[in-house]
Amino acid sequence: MSLNRRDFVKAATATGLTMTAAPWVHASAKAKVYRTALIGTGWWGMNILREALAAGNCKPVALADVDQDTLDVAAEQINDLSGTMPNRYQDVRDLLAKEKIDIAIIATPDHWHALNAIAAVEAGAHVFLEKPTGHTILESRATLNAARAADSVVQVGLHRRIGPHYVSGMKFLKEGNVGDIGMVRMFVLGGGGREAPTANSQPPEGMDWDMYCGPAPIRPFNSRIHPGGFRHFLDFANGTLGDWGVHWLDQVLWWTDEKFPRKVYSTGGRPVRGAAVLNDKEQTTDAPDHQVATYEFESFTATWEHRKFARNNAEKHSIGCYFYGTKGTFHMGWRDGWTFYPTDSKKPIVHQDAQLQDPDGHNLKLLWADFLSSIENKTKPVCDVESGHLSTNLSLLGMLSYKLGRSIKWDGDGERIVGDEAANKLLRREYREPWKYPV
Amino acid sequence: MSLLANHYVLPCFLAAILFLPATRSPAEDWGQWRGPTGDGISRETNWTSEWPPSGPPVVWRASVGTGFSTVAISQGWLFTMGNADNVDTVVCLDVETGAQRWKHSYDSPLDARFFDGGPTATPTVDGDTVYTLGRQGQLFCLSAGSGQIKWSKNVQEETGARIPGWGFGGSPVVQDDMLLLNVGDAGAAFKKTTGELIWKTGDGQAGYTTPLLHTVSGKTTMFLASGKFYSSVDTATGEVSWQHRWLTQFGANGADPILAGGYLFISSGYNRGCALLELTEADPRVVWSNKEMQNQFSSCVLIDGFLYGIDGDTDAARALKCMELTTGEVKWSVDGLGSGSLIAAGRRLIILSEEGELVVARAVPSAFEELARCQVLDGRCWTMPVLANGRIYCRSADGDVVCVNVCERN
Repeated sequence: MSLNRRDFVKAATATGLTMTAAPWVHASAKAKVYRTALIGTGWWGMNILREALAAGNCKPVALADVDQDTLDVAAEQINDLSGTMPNRYQDVRDLLAKEKIDIAIIATPDHWHALNAIAAVEAGAHVFLEKPTGHTILESRATLNAARAADSVVQVGLHRRIGPHYVSGMKFLKEGNVGDIGMVRMFVLGGGGREAPTANSQPPEGMDWDMYCGPAPIRPFNSRIHPGGFRHFLDFANGTLGDWGVHWLDQVLWWTDEKFPRKVYSTGGRPVRGAAVLNDKEQTTDAPDHQVATYEFESFTATWEHRKFARNNAEKHSIGCYFYGTKGTFHMGWRDGWTFYPTDSKKPIVHQDAQLQDPDGHNLKLLWADFLSSIENKTKPVCDVESGHLSTNLSLLGMLSYKLGRSIKWDGDGERIVGDEAANKLLRREYREPWKYPV
Repeated sequence: MSLLANHYVLPCFLAAILFLPATRSPAEDWGQWRGPTGDGISRETNWTSEWPPSGPPVVWRASVGTGFSTVAISQGWLFTMGNADNVDTVVCLDVETGAQRWKHSYDSPLDARFFDGGPTATPTVDGDTVYTLGRQGQLFCLSAGSGQIKWSKNVQEETGARIPGWGFGGSPVVQDDMLLLNVGDAGAAFKKTTGELIWKTGDGQAGYTTPLLHTVSGKTTMFLASGKFYSSVDTATGEVSWQHRWLTQFGANGADPILAGGYLFISSGYNRGCALLELTEADPRVVWSNKEMQNQFSSCVLIDGFLYGIDGDTDAARALKCMELTTGEVKWSVDGLGSGSLIAAGRRLIILSEEGELVVARAVPSAFEELARCQVLDGRCWTMPVLANGRIYCRSADGDVVCVNVCERN
């Protein structure tokens, strides 16, 4: 399989050298040209692909999306940027069957991540996989196993592991400047109120709604879901903990030497948004409007808190993690950089600004460069699929406990919940035919 | 403050009343989105940008609920709408005091996905009647005097058209006995007296532009965007004479087209860009296109052959730019106004910045020349300001409305 991939790369490079007008050739005369496909061509997927094109040695050969308009918009934009009109597919299976690709970028809604990532590595591609690595824990595990079996590089889109202020902040933490850290608090706090349902409607013309739902249960189309609203529908994603949570949980796992917690409990609900609605006429979202999760590690406790009401005018920060140590409180933030508030009030506050890219304050350029470097040098990328899997697991364990309504003991080595068969059933989900749960 | 305000206001009001029948009045009403001529340009001349250091006097402030409707001003009354607790409310306020004359409410989800939510279309006044459109297709014909419902329809149910991702956002437009709406592939027409559907087009997702009308020798053409196309439609029949493909991410064609002689300027954000179309007997011809003026939702104004507008999406770099219409060449660009919006009057731009600063600048291609600036609102402002009868009305997403007096003292 890896031989095949190298052959593709060679062939692509040879072609590239004759096409002097193509921008990806200019980057470096000896650079390989990676035949790149984007699966899920919405807003975020296109942000990733733009970085791939900017890197200079990725040729955008194919796109897949269930929405024909989204696909066409993406293709036209790529043609504008690169002079290449990629082939377009509404069914990702056709793309993987017909195209020879070196790299697949996967930026679909969460419930499609594992199936697409597994199919892509089995087709011989390296994968840039948006987080989370699965919608349930065993999907994520299957993704990791498939990547290892195929010997593919899989970079997970956890760009907060490489963004400059996160790197310097983590160095500051690991050098002991915060003292002995006993507790970490992760949080995302925003505003909002009661949610009234929106009428269901026909899917946009040219959208394959059945394929969008894929392995998840089919439901009526609603504009709340698409475009871009899927994160707050638990059939397709895992709410704020499954979105923002993965990033901040990943910071905790980056900081600690421990690989997983031994006990997890989560609670929350929709007292402000109101009960979820799903019927033939209308829908609301169904993710919790607030949620608290506790992660009990051997040497510290971590908590997660999200809230979509009241905003946070009582504290300085609305997003990030506080690391509480004997020397003070360290805040790892996003647009507000990082800040250390010493316990000793005579000592100065230490701060570093964020260095981010727009849109949406990411660090994809660095993450993409690391991905290509890993492919070229056969090394593990900074957000390797295994660490992405472990961080994803934390968010999914929180969601599992939330749905189950009780705390769980986690055997991280065996990836099983100890002494609770009902809980273990939630490590996977039922798939809708014809889709098969990955193993 | 109020004494001072009244002192400033009265002459303009008298002027407005006295000059009402005149065709070129120094002060005028603004009864619909983009004003009486549908181009975002006021013919009003009797206003000043020479403000005291603290800014022009605030006449009143009001709160109308979350949303992006701007105000319609007619015969001393202001009409706008907003959402609170998943209820849309259309309000009629006294332009003198901001006091509420009537309100009309109906259930509608805030639907705050990727923005603050609430209604995005603006009421349209036609004589003693006001028309409003909610994002879920709730169309109301109300008495301008009392707010009583004359008739109401749900345009989605009437036409079977899909609801676009952010709901229906184009404002209603009146032509003779018809009410024209951006609903479906290329609009729909309703009888303005009864709400009866006259014609409709395909059931695809509408864009968010307001129909732009143009009448030549008795035949009226309507230009509007769906999520995929700009269309030219004969308003008498609903017949589509041409469609120009203009596919934008999320179907988000939001800025209004601008007609200039036989040419149509169109622009969208999300990396789509802008183009000048030459209108021919058959399909339009692209004169030029580029990515230098990407109007995400705030439309340009065209003055003396130059476009002035906000380029760039809310999550990226944005600038106010001046662009030559015939060539697409950028003459100047200035940062710092965020996703603001603008109108113009008397070769001056009236800009409300995203952060609530009211800015006046000369509409000249040589350079950005600022004439006045003051903070009038807090919070996110994406809604076009309105000048009418010597006052400027600004509105924030949270629903704060401020009326400031810019009447020139004679």
